Parts: sequence; C-alpha cells; structure tokens
Amino acid sequence: MNKAADISRVPVIDIRFGQVGLLQVRLRTTDPGAILDELSGRIATAPQFFERTAVCLDLGPLGRQPEASELRPVIDAIRRAGMLTVGLAHGTSGVDELSKVLHIPVLAHFRAQSKPVPVVHPPQPPPVETLAPALMHHQPVRSGQRVYARHRELVVTAMVGAGAEVMADGCVHIYGTLRGRAMAGAAGEVTARVFCQEFYAELVSIAGVFRVFETIPPELEGKPVQAWLAGESLNFARIGG
Amino acid sequence: MTEIIVVTSGKGGVGKTTTSASIATGLAKRGKRVAVIDFDIGLRNLDLIMGCERRVVYDFVSVIQGDSSLKQALIKDKRVDTLYILAASQTRDKDALSEEGVKKVLDELTAEGFDFVICDSPAGIEKGAHLAMYFADRAVVVVNPEVSSVRDSDRILGLLASKTLKAEQGNGGVKEHLLLTRYSPKRVATGEMMSVDDVKEILGLEVVGVVPESPDVLSASNSGVPVILKEESTVAQAYEDVVARLLGESLPLRFLEEPKKGFFARMLGG
Repeated sequence: MNKAADISRVPVIDIRFGQVGLLQVRLRTTDPGAILDELSGRIATAPQFFERTAVCLDLGPLGRQPEASELRPVIDAIRRAGMLTVGLAHGTSGVDELSKVLHIPVLAHFRAQSKPVPVVHPPQPPPVETLAPALMHHQPVRSGQRVYARHRELVVTAMVGAGAEVMADGCVHIYGTLRGRAMAGAAGEVTARVFCQEFYAELVSIAGVFRVFETIPPELEGKPVQAWLAGESLNFARIGG
Repeated sequence: MTEIIVVTSGKGGVGKTTTSASIATGLAKRGKRVAVIDFDIGLRNLDLIMGCERRVVYDFVSVIQGDSSLKQALIKDKRVDTLYILAASQTRDKDALSEEGVKKVLDELTAEGFDFVICDSPAGIEKGAHLAMYFADRAVVVVNPEVSSVRDSDRILGLLASKTLKAEQGNGGVKEHLLLTRYSPKRVATGEMMSVDDVKEILGLEVVGVVPESPDVLSASNSGVPVILKEESTVAQAYEDVVARLLGESLPLRFLEEPKKGFFARMLGG
C-alpha cells in the first residue's frame, strides 16, 4: 500500500530500554483482606514512597500454584492499597500461564523464590527465670539401675544400692544410704555437691573429678557426708556433729 | 482371681526351685488351686523336686507351640490334689518361650480358675527370667545371706520395678517379698555370714521368711518330695510360715537363733 509514506512519517512511538527499580511483593497468602490490611499498615509509614508504585508479585512463598481467579482479588487489593501490579516474578511454567490469563508480564529479572521465606517473628522477650524442679526419686535405686537428672538437681528419698548410679547436672541429695556411685555436676558444674545420709559409696564424682572408695575411711563410714570440689581436689566431710 | 507369683533370685543355687515347690505345695495344702510352672527351659528340675519326672509327657513349650493342650500337659500332684505341675522342656532352649506364648498359658490358667500360679524362674536376667517375672503380681526374691547373692537380688528387684507389666502400667508395680534361705544362725554368730538385719538393710525390704540351712532340703530333693511335706523339719515349718505370711497372716520370724542343746545332748555331746 502506501509504504513509502509510512516510512517517511515520524514514528509515533520510540522504544527505549530502561532499567527500573521495582518493589517485590512476596505473597504468603491469597487472602485479599489480609493483604490489604498489611499493605495499608506498611504504606501508612511512608505514603509518598509507596504512592502508585509499580510492584512485581512473587508467588514463590505461597508454596503452590494459585488460580488466576484467586489472584485477581489480590491484585485488586494491592491497587486499593495504592500500588500497581506490573509483573509476575519469573518462576514455573504455571506462572507463564497466569501471565497470559491475567495480561501481566513475567519479569525474568525477578526470580520467584523457590522455597517459602521463613516468617520473621519479632524477637521473643527473654524468658522469665524459672526454677527447674529437682528430679524426685522415691524408690530404691537398685544395682544396675541409673537415674540421671538433666539440667537439675536430684533428690533420692530411698537408698542407692551397690552397683547403682545416680547422676545430676546439679547437686545429688540422697536421704538414705549411698552404696553405689553418685555423680554431681555431670555437665561440668564445679559448684555441684553430693550429699547423703549414710555414706558407703563406691565412687563419688563432681564435674568429672572422681574418687573410688576401695575402702571407706572410718570417719565417713555410715555417716552423713557431703562432697564438694575445691579446685582440682575432691573433698569429703561429715555433716553435723 | 488368679494371682501370679514369681520365685526369682538372679543367682543360681540359692533355692528357687525348692522354694517354688514348697510354696506351691503349702498353698495347695491350704485348699488353694495351684499351678507351678518351671521356666527353666533346657534345665528342668522342678519335676524332680516334685517327684513327677517320670510322668512328664507334654510340657510348657509343647503347650506354647500348640503341640498339646494345657490339660494334657498339667501334671496332677499325687499327694495334694489341688496342685498341678507344668514342667519345662528338657530338649528345647530358652528361645522357645515367647511373651505371647507365656501370656496365652497364664490366661488359660486364669480361665481355669486357679487361685495361684507359681512361676519358678531360671537363674540369670535373660529371657527365661524376664518372662517368668513379666506377668507377675507378686515376687518372692530368694536370697542367701552372702554378698554376691544379695547383689544379684538387688539387681532383680530393680528389674521387677522396671521390666514387668505391672511396672510398665504404673499401677503400684509388683509386690516384692524377700525370702532368706540357707540361713545358718551359728555362722551368723561367728560373723561368717550376713545376718537377717544386714540383708534387710542392704536391700531395703522386709523379709517374708527365713529358712534355715538344713540337710533335710537335700534329702527331700533326692527323694522327690517338696521339703515342706517333711513336717518334722525346721525347714518345713519355716516354709509353712512363709505360706501363711503370703496369705496375709502375721507371724514372728523363727529359727534365727542356734537351737539350744537340751540337757542330755549337752551331757552326751560334751
């Protein structure tokens, strides 16, 4: 036809390549109400910055492929919040399908996150210091048995037989006869102590420093005894008179 | 209601089978229907002590494996007519026992209306001993007054408190009774043997009885008679006391002192 005339005309458009910074909106839900609430809150902090900004939707954090009908209200909610959806982050072939249906381009520059982004929780207030209750053991600890109080003290209100083991990260208290092994400060606490009502122990250990009793010193035998650590040396003494 | 009592010890040779036979016979003599089971598969002894070794055709294992019925395998005692013996197999090993199999036999005995089932445990803490104690309501822990037996009993008491059905269900656990056997007051007096009080203190348990050391046990075993039937023997009297205490009577302990020699014995014995 009149090709020559066309060529002579000044082109009605110019196509230029330009780079823009673009906000990404990563969706963890397709609930438009929730999205609108959240965006409105964020935008209120800096209205000029977000006013009619172009955004790119990242569907990756959803962890699934939403339907186009599901996304339309989302795009609507974003627009009502004052921003304009201009693209979908590049992702699976499903995103390409959505792009065709919704008439929104796929922006290859933005890669959809393949894994859901972990939700960042506001830092928890430090826990109020509570007392770890002692482990109470009311049955005799028999030969071959082992009782361990992790991260706390151990209270045994019965005897500990020969060949039995009682251990605690804190102190070990035995209101009965100790014939077996007692280990306090099993995780290295050097201030932990062992207490017993009648001392016939095979072995006593505090924070890894131990003493084996092949024979029991007569001043301790059958007496109420406590054991503690002073430096590298393990000390034993009668309690009371 | 059927009560299951395990007779156990950990250590061998302390008198489990003698005790099982005498307790079972003693309970039956008092009119209770009693079945006594030998759990020592491969080393069966209970039938010898009970004097029925020549009447064993079917046994515990054959019932578990379905080769015979329980009725066929239960041997009726010739002396006490409410007493039945279920012998161990001599030709199998301890792997022939299974938890389901033991449960099946005990359930069947319960359904038969037995008052007591006495389980004679093998020594050790392996499968046979475990299964003998697993379903028990009460345990008689047989201990000799010497250190290794006491230590092993302590271990068994620990297992009773943790590795039994009652303990796993958490409803009070197995009721434990300590029985001292082969007790010699003379050797206790000279300090060669631990006293009742020593054993009670170390194990932290009351004793259900003290059976004195006596040659009557060996002669009764050799003749295939439960020693509790040798009525003139102090051992029999001690076991009668144990049976009475197991049934809830409270009796003082006997035979803790060296028997005093009579006037003539002293004169003649010099």
